[in-house]
Amino acid sequence: MFKTIYRRKFLVTAMLGVVLAASTTDISHAQSGGKVTLKIANSQWLDALRGKNLWAAVQKYQEVAPNVTLEQEAIPSAEFADKLTTEMGAGQGPDIAIMQEGLFYAMADAGFLVDIGKAAEGVTLNKTNDNGMIDGVRYGVAWQRAAYALIYNKPVIDAAGAKVPTTVEELITSSKAAAAKTPGVIGFTARHQINDFSGWFMDFQNWAYGYGVNWVDKDGRLTIDTPEAVAAVQAFKETYASGIIPIGDSMPTQRTRFKEKHVAFSIDNSGGTLNIASGGALPSSEIGAAAMPFKNPGAHQQIFLGVSAHSDHQEEAIKFLAWLVSKPGQQALRDASGPDALATDVPVTDAFAAANPWAPAFAKLGETSRSTLIPGYEVETAQIMRFVMQAVEKVILSNADPKTALAEAQLAVDKQF
Amino acid sequence: MTGSKIRSGMTRLVPYAFILPPMIYLMVFMFWPLARQMYMSLTNTRIINPNRGRFIGLGNYERLFDDPAFYLSLKATLVYAVLAVVFGVSLGVISALAIDRPFKGRAVVRAILLFGWAVPNVAASLIWLWMYNDRSGVFNRITEFLGLGRFPWLTSTELALGSILAVTVWQVAPFVMLVVLAALQSVPHEVREAARIDGADGLSTFRAVTLPHIRPAIQLASLLVCVWSIRRFDIIYLLTGGGPVGTTSTLVVKIRQIAFEGHELGMASAYGAVGLVLALAIAALHYVVEQRRMKWMSR
Repeated sequence: MFKTIYRRKFLVTAMLGVVLAASTTDISHAQSGGKVTLKIANSQWLDALRGKNLWAAVQKYQEVAPNVTLEQEAIPSAEFADKLTTEMGAGQGPDIAIMQEGLFYAMADAGFLVDIGKAAEGVTLNKTNDNGMIDGVRYGVAWQRAAYALIYNKPVIDAAGAKVPTTVEELITSSKAAAAKTPGVIGFTARHQINDFSGWFMDFQNWAYGYGVNWVDKDGRLTIDTPEAVAAVQAFKETYASGIIPIGDSMPTQRTRFKEKHVAFSIDNSGGTLNIASGGALPSSEIGAAAMPFKNPGAHQQIFLGVSAHSDHQEEAIKFLAWLVSKPGQQALRDASGPDALATDVPVTDAFAAANPWAPAFAKLGETSRSTLIPGYEVETAQIMRFVMQAVEKVILSNADPKTALAEAQLAVDKQF
Repeated sequence: MTGSKIRSGMTRLVPYAFILPPMIYLMVFMFWPLARQMYMSLTNTRIINPNRGRFIGLGNYERLFDDPAFYLSLKATLVYAVLAVVFGVSLGVISALAIDRPFKGRAVVRAILLFGWAVPNVAASLIWLWMYNDRSGVFNRITEFLGLGRFPWLTSTELALGSILAVTVWQVAPFVMLVVLAALQSVPHEVREAARIDGADGLSTFRAVTLPHIRPAIQLASLLVCVWSIRRFDIIYLLTGGGPVGTTSTLVVKIRQIAFEGHELGMASAYGAVGLVLALAIAALHYVVEQRRMKWMSR
């Protein structure tokens, strides 16, 4: 009898447990119907100071949408493309990705991004958003556009009596003068190694565009070994061979050296300069910015936001984007973005410009800068530029003739594409 | 009778029951992915859409064997692997012989020699990256002090592979040392003593007495170092990224570039298949040599 009683008790308890678990699940479903968590992937979350500020700006959305919780997916910049590609390829990944233009195109091409046209309705987007439209569908809105400029340490070059250069020859002269005047100072920093390929090819586009390079002709044919490209590679070689660049230093190391007042000149984008101007020994007021020492405008790095086609919360993600491109969202983002151009024309505040005298130069340069992607070959740009950068490497390390090296690159590109 | 038959049958199954879990593990985590990779090498799969590849037969292999960059990678891989074995094993054997005999401070010396093996590859690579730094690195500080000037350790086509080899040897030699040290314990002390009494010098004793005993261990260590070198990625990628001018672009580094830059998973799988064949060929060679040695010894 007791066995029977205990068995019944056990069965009743078990049934109650099942009912409770099911109802709890139901309750949590009902709760999750209201509460949504959006995961946003960005490499900038890891940037010193700026990352924290950007995240704080984005989190302001939670004040207007209390049912939404935003969550970071912070991936180091060097691994961002690989990781996101793998995640999205496997049907996973964040709800929203903040990605460089090249990756954005690859994701859109693969069908991993959704139409976010609704987010931009009623908003006057500026031209930084143009490439977010592919075949008439809006897959992305601009997060930031970071133009490139020649930045310099004002006290160091003033002490050397060096002038802000307008040509590569002047750059070499001024860099050498600055390094000679102040022991321990490096004349000029720039990416120069193939193990930093993704950053290097984007930076190198400044040299290429500066010398008038178009990587495709009017018929859409890839043109690698043009006289302009030869001139650009030759100029880079002269700079490399002059001894003003700290050979072997990675870009983060070079930026740190700039922060510590050990660099005279650098070619960097506005995001990198904001990084340099924050939290180091060099006050922001002592950083200057000017046009790069080339005849033609340079490049910019464009970052887009897109909503993942794998996201379970696409509607909510699009609403977040709509807030981000609205006036409050853009103003929140402006305060954390330095002089980077945003999706709408939100000017840099007077206070920011006064505290950061280098900022207006970037804004000006952003008006004429070009995308680092090759028109018509946006998805294949990295592969094409691999051949170009290998040619540059041969020139600077093996003393190859730029014309010959680029001709070989042209052959390789023609074979593959 | 029936009961004993059943028990006997079950007893026969016991060994299979013991090897079943590791077999399942190998099937799931090794053979299945390997089979998938081999199939993928026959498709035009892209990393961005890994489930939508189309069968293209030997198309990837045709492109691969037609590409000069493949032969450069193969050459870099073979040179790197061979030199890693030569220097890594030599240094490991010498270190093992040196610390085989007791001396004051032996434990400390052994700990120092093992340090390279203990440090994780990525940490070791980043430390060496700084040591090789052109301006601030300790190696160039020393060479400048000695009046030799600075060397472009990682950016020179002549020096880059050697610089990577130095890091590799520093990491694998301690492992070889441990393996050989264990083998040295099997060398009969009396035979060594007898050789010494008979007037044999150190080198003769080593050749006639010690080496035959430790040869199998050296062979095994060589095989492992060779296969690991073919597969090594972290040290090379962090130090040079495959540069300068492709001189350190081994098969594995090329696989990463093709898969994640070019998004061509099918082509990267073809490269992987070549690497696998290379490793299997080396393992087969080791097996043949070992079989011949066993035959010779059993005569």
